[in-house]
Amino acid sequence: MLSYLGRRSFHSLVSVLGLLTLVFFLTRLTGDPSALYLPLDSSIEARTAFARLNGLDQPIYWQFLQYLKDLLDLDFGQSLRQNRSAMEVALEAFPQTLKLAFVAMTLSTLLAVLVGSLAAARPGSRFDRIASIVSLGGASAPDFWIAIVGILIFAVGFELLPTSGTGGFAYWVMPVFVLMLRPFGLLVQVVRGTMLSALASPYIRTAHAKGMARRKIIFGHALRNSLLPVITVAGDLATGLINGAVVVETIFGWPGIGKLMIDSIIQRDFAVVQSTILVTAIAIFVLNIAIDLLYAALDPRIRY
Amino acid sequence: MRKMSIRVVAGAVFLGASAALAAAQPASEVRIVLPEQPANLEPCGTIITNVGQILSQNVVEPLTVIDPTSGQPQPRLATEWSQVDPNTWHLKLRDSVKFHDGTDLNAEAVVFSIERMTGGKVTCSNIAKFGDAKLTVTAVDDRTVEIKSDKPQPILPTLLSVVMVVSPKTPADKAVNDPIGTGPYKLTTFSPQTVVLEAFDGYWGEDPDITKATYVWRSESSIRAAMVETGEADLTPSIAIQDANNPQTDFAYLNSETTAIRIDTDFAPLNDVRIRKALNLAIDWEGLAQLFGDDVKRASQMVVPGINGHNSEFEPWAYDPEQAKALIAEARAAGVPVDTEIELIGRNGIYPNGAEAMEAMMAMWQEAGLNVKLTMLDVADWLRYLQKPFPEGRGPNLLQMMHDNNKGDAAFTVPIFYHSNGSYSTLHDPALDQEVDAAMAATGEDRTAKFKALFAKVRNDVVADIPMFHMIGYTRVGPRLDWKPDITTNSEIPLANIALKD
Repeated sequence: MLSYLGRRSFHSLVSVLGLLTLVFFLTRLTGDPSALYLPLDSSIEARTAFARLNGLDQPIYWQFLQYLKDLLDLDFGQSLRQNRSAMEVALEAFPQTLKLAFVAMTLSTLLAVLVGSLAAARPGSRFDRIASIVSLGGASAPDFWIAIVGILIFAVGFELLPTSGTGGFAYWVMPVFVLMLRPFGLLVQVVRGTMLSALASPYIRTAHAKGMARRKIIFGHALRNSLLPVITVAGDLATGLINGAVVVETIFGWPGIGKLMIDSIIQRDFAVVQSTILVTAIAIFVLNIAIDLLYAALDPRIRY
Repeated sequence: MRKMSIRVVAGAVFLGASAALAAAQPASEVRIVLPEQPANLEPCGTIITNVGQILSQNVVEPLTVIDPTSGQPQPRLATEWSQVDPNTWHLKLRDSVKFHDGTDLNAEAVVFSIERMTGGKVTCSNIAKFGDAKLTVTAVDDRTVEIKSDKPQPILPTLLSVVMVVSPKTPADKAVNDPIGTGPYKLTTFSPQTVVLEAFDGYWGEDPDITKATYVWRSESSIRAAMVETGEADLTPSIAIQDANNPQTDFAYLNSETTAIRIDTDFAPLNDVRIRKALNLAIDWEGLAQLFGDDVKRASQMVVPGINGHNSEFEPWAYDPEQAKALIAEARAAGVPVDTEIELIGRNGIYPNGAEAMEAMMAMWQEAGLNVKLTMLDVADWLRYLQKPFPEGRGPNLLQMMHDNNKGDAAFTVPIFYHSNGSYSTLHDPALDQEVDAAMAATGEDRTAKFKALFAKVRNDVVADIPMFHMIGYTRVGPRLDWKPDITTNSEIPLANIALKD
């Protein structure tokens, strides 16, 4: 196990370095930040001074070597926009996204497993049909539209919830709900499909013949064997959320890493783009390792 | 029974949430929702909208302020000024002014602030207003500052409206996010979610009605409008036209931005004045205005009324497709290659409905008989065409642009657009250059007259551009506040000017 973790970490480190190299050069291809940071009527002297002040007047290979050297010193550079450490900016935003993603993924996965299992237990029933319609709707509904309509109904119409922002329980309701919809819809479909297949297996028929309780058959035996594909899909969806829930963050004013990343790309705040990608890349590698370990825990045939 | 319990719990949760929402903030505190998070709070960047709207005249104060009606500089931290010679000005400073850190305002503090702006160690957007002028600042005595420039500065008092005076304890070699100024409010919080300003006890002026202002930001216009509607916020300075649907709370205001098309006069057929006139005459301006709302104002020149030099004696170009066609035919007969392809260069997202406006204008020019093709660019590519040096290999082109002059004087517009050295100019007219230089060096009524004459010449004789509209902004103001936006709202929202109803 330890050797597996060591190997996986080494591969991840190589991938992160490759990613950072790619991001470094790709961001520089977007153009000169002074065009965006200085007023349009700034003089050539002012633009030259800006480039010198921020090390942008050096050849690109030299800037890259300097970046690598600073990385070794754990110096991730300064944000051009925010006048402070780029990593500080990224680490301030990331927990906000992580909290939102964790709550939304946990709730949507638990709910989807429950709904998908019950739907598969009685295929063709009214519950199954309703679950299919709701999950397909959830998976295909545009989140920005749901968010705006939700605000108009619950914040402006009934004044039950705040329009946006961060704070207590009320501030979490709409962002979490909107963020849950798509994963819930997709996971219900996956759970239902894999459960139908599992429930048709010979060992389930044997369990029925032995007189085992229906609830135990569904949740104790069939579900456990159906979970591997669910974990794969849930992991993929979680990866997307960790990268930032840009629409939800933008509409609800949630100060997460997705919106920060997009804003930084648009504003050519290179150091922040690199830092946000580094943070999310590390988080995604950790998540992938966790998923691998979960596979092993659920399926005794998988050993590392 | 179980169903009943679930309903009771759900109801309690929502009622609790609603009660928390309904908890009103103290009467003298306001919440303002901006379209964007301020990237930083460096006082040398107050000409940037989302920095200026928080800091300018609230936390930091300039030496002068511009009267939004007359465009003339008015005293603020400088109470009087005099021009000693064309290159030298003396300023007298206000007495009994303290910075938020307790330091006294004196001539040395002003010298420090200007040297911090011009020193090149801090990225300073505001200094762009001074062009390439080299300033030497000295303290004559405790209350008098001398500013010398390497070239005449007839409107230095106007330029001083972008000089934000900061405490001498501010680092001179790096940008800051915790500015210390002399304004009626001091900064208490700057986080990724909020900026909070609280009234400063030691302010030299009258105590403002508002004791505390909390700024938040939402990029969606409909959310900002909803926040004011539900009472979550008291004011939002910018909402989209489709969200400005409540006459009780939504105010339209002329926002100092002028949209236009620059004509690149370096290439045929655009180097022919008949074609340039035809371009102006071929547009159905009333039809085009529908893209921008009922309140939009047709522009005849690149500055809005109220800016020194604005000439109200001539009208915007009218729609006359027959005359446009006649001018094109006349040019064709004279050997002008009117069929040459002209590239209309638009910028994505430059203003709402900007792309639709370009498509409509292209169609109207094609209808008039010109071979115009539209290319939409992102800001970085578009900038290459806006500023010199222009891209090599470019052909005849028309450039979509929007110009913002809220600084009270045509000097912030004319040389950039119409002088041979202007960074946006495609003109090469030595006689026009001399007139621009003369206007820039003039003062008082002579200056106003010279700029007015220049705008008339540029419109009637040179036809250097196609002015489109003076743009309108929409602001939603909650029922608690007594305040209306004006031409300066895009750059500052002085909290001290906001009164509370009852």
